[in-house]
Amino acid sequence: MIRSILSLLLRALVVVSGASIVTFILLWNAPGDPALAIAMARYHQVVSADVLDQVRNEVGLDAGFWSAFKAWIGPLLAGDFGKSTVTDREVWPELVTAMSYTFPLAMLALVCGMCVALPLAILATKHPGSVLDRAAIGMASLGAAIPPYWLGLLLILLFAVYLDWLPAMGALSTTHMVLPALTLGLGVTASLTRIIRSGILDAREQAFLPAFRRRCVLSRNIGRDHIAPHATIPVITVFGLELAFLLEGLVMVEVIFGRPGLGSFLVNAIEARDFPKVQAVVLLTALVFVVINLIIDVIYQVIDPRIGEHDA
Amino acid sequence: MTLSVSGLSTERSGRIILHPTSLSIEPSARIGLVGPSGSGKSTLGHALIDDLHRQGRIVAHVPQSPDEALDPLRTMRFHWHEAEAALGLPHDAPRQQQLFSALGIAHGDLRKRPWGWSRGMQQRFVIAMALIGSPELIVLDEPTSALDPVVAADSMDLLDRFLSGRQTAMILITHDLALAAQRVSQLMVMDNGCLVEQASTSALLNTPKTKAAKALSAHRNWMPHPC
Repeated sequence: MIRSILSLLLRALVVVSGASIVTFILLWNAPGDPALAIAMARYHQVVSADVLDQVRNEVGLDAGFWSAFKAWIGPLLAGDFGKSTVTDREVWPELVTAMSYTFPLAMLALVCGMCVALPLAILATKHPGSVLDRAAIGMASLGAAIPPYWLGLLLILLFAVYLDWLPAMGALSTTHMVLPALTLGLGVTASLTRIIRSGILDAREQAFLPAFRRRCVLSRNIGRDHIAPHATIPVITVFGLELAFLLEGLVMVEVIFGRPGLGSFLVNAIEARDFPKVQAVVLLTALVFVVINLIIDVIYQVIDPRIGEHDA
Repeated sequence: MTLSVSGLSTERSGRIILHPTSLSIEPSARIGLVGPSGSGKSTLGHALIDDLHRQGRIVAHVPQSPDEALDPLRTMRFHWHEAEAALGLPHDAPRQQQLFSALGIAHGDLRKRPWGWSRGMQQRFVIAMALIGSPELIVLDEPTSALDPVVAADSMDLLDRFLSGRQTAMILITHDLALAAQRVSQLMVMDNGCLVEQASTSALLNTPKTKAAKALSAHRNWMPHPC
C-alpha cells in the first residue's frame, strides 16, 4: 500500500515537473522575437531597437537558455511564481484572481452536466431503443459534434442579442456565468450521457446477474448494489478525461465571453510571451490533473482493487 | 412435498429450444439431467427454477462457474447477507457457521471479494449460499466443469454428506454420464429440446432405449473418475 502510494506520488512529480520543463523549452524556442511581444504588450506601440535590447536585458533573454532556466526554476522550487515580464507584478495574486473566475464556472458546468446526464442516461437505459433512448443518443452526438466556440456564439446571438435575456460579456454577476456554463455544460452532458448509458448497458450484461435474480434478489437492489458499481468504473475513467476537454473548452469560452479567468489569462500571457504567467498556468493545470487522477486512482482502489494492481 | 411442473417450454428468437415438458420431483430425489451440449439441459433447469419460484417454492441454483454466481466487486460477506435478505431471513451466524463447516470453508475470510478466494472455495461458498433457506430443490448446473477434478469431487462429496437425511432434492445437470452415474439414482436424458428418456440410473446405463441415451451410454467416459 505504502509502495503504491509512493509510486503514485512519484508519477505525479514526474508529470508536473515534466510538463513545466517541456513548456519552458517550447516557449523559449517558439518562433518570433519574445522581446518584441513583451514590448508590444507593455507599450502598445512599435518600439525602437534600444527599448527591445533593454527588455531583453531586463527579462534575461540575452543571458541564454540555461541562465534563464535557472532564474525561473530556482524561485519556483521555493514556491515563488515570479513576476510578470509585462506588468512587473507578482504572478501568484493574479493567478488566484483568475482561478476564482474559472473554478466556479468549471464546477458549475461539471455539476450541471452530471445532474442532467445521470437521470437522462438512467431513463434512456430503462428501455434501450425507445424514443427517449434515441433522443438521449441524439443529444449526446449533437453535443459532441458542436464545438464550444460555435455554440457559444449561437447562444450569445439567441439569448443576448435576439431575446436580450442574459448578458453576453464579462463576469460582473452570477447571471454572466449562465451562458458560458451552458456552452461548456452541453459538451460535458453529451459525453457523460453517452458513457453512463453504455456503462449501465454493459454492466447489465454481466454474466453473474441472472444468478442473482434466481437467488430472488430484488431487481432494485441488483441495480443499486451490482449494476451501479460496475457502471461507475468507465464513468470515472471518462470523468478524468472529461476534465482535459473541459479545460480546453474553458480557454475558448472565456475568451469568447470576455471572462477574466485562467483561459484569458493564458491567452494574454502567450500573446505577450509573459513566461512566468504561462508557466504558472501550465504548472497549475498539471497539478489539477495529477490531483484528479490521484483521486480517481483512490476511487478505483475502493471499487475494484484489481485495477492497476500490477502497474502501481 | 413433491415438486411438480407441467408444460414448461422456452422459445428464443422464434426457435423452440425447450419443448413442453412436465416433471415431478420427490423429496430427497437425486436426479441427473444428461444430454449432449445444446440439448436444452440448462434451459430446462432455468425454466424449472423460475416456474417453481412462481409457485412460491424455495429452489436454489448453483451455476456452472463461480464467475456466474458472484459479483467480483462485492465482498463474500455482502453476498451472504444479500442472499439471506433475499429469502426474507435475518442474519443467522450459527447457520452460517454450520454451512461453512459442512462445506469446508469455515477458514475463508469473508471480508475478501470472490477473487481473493480459490475457485474451489468460491464454488463451495455458492453451494453454501444455495443451502441457506433449506431449499426443497437444489439445481446444480455442470457444477464441476469449471473446477479441477479433485476439488470438484471434494465439493460434491461435502454436498452429498450435507444433503443425506434431508428433504432437499437435487438435480445435477451434466453432459458427463460417468459423473451422473456416481451421484444420482435417476437419470433424465435430454435431446434437441425434449426430455426423451427417464429411468433409474442402472436401467438407463444397462438398457438405454432411445437413440440419445444409447449414444451417451456408448460414448461415456469410464476412465477412473475422481468424482
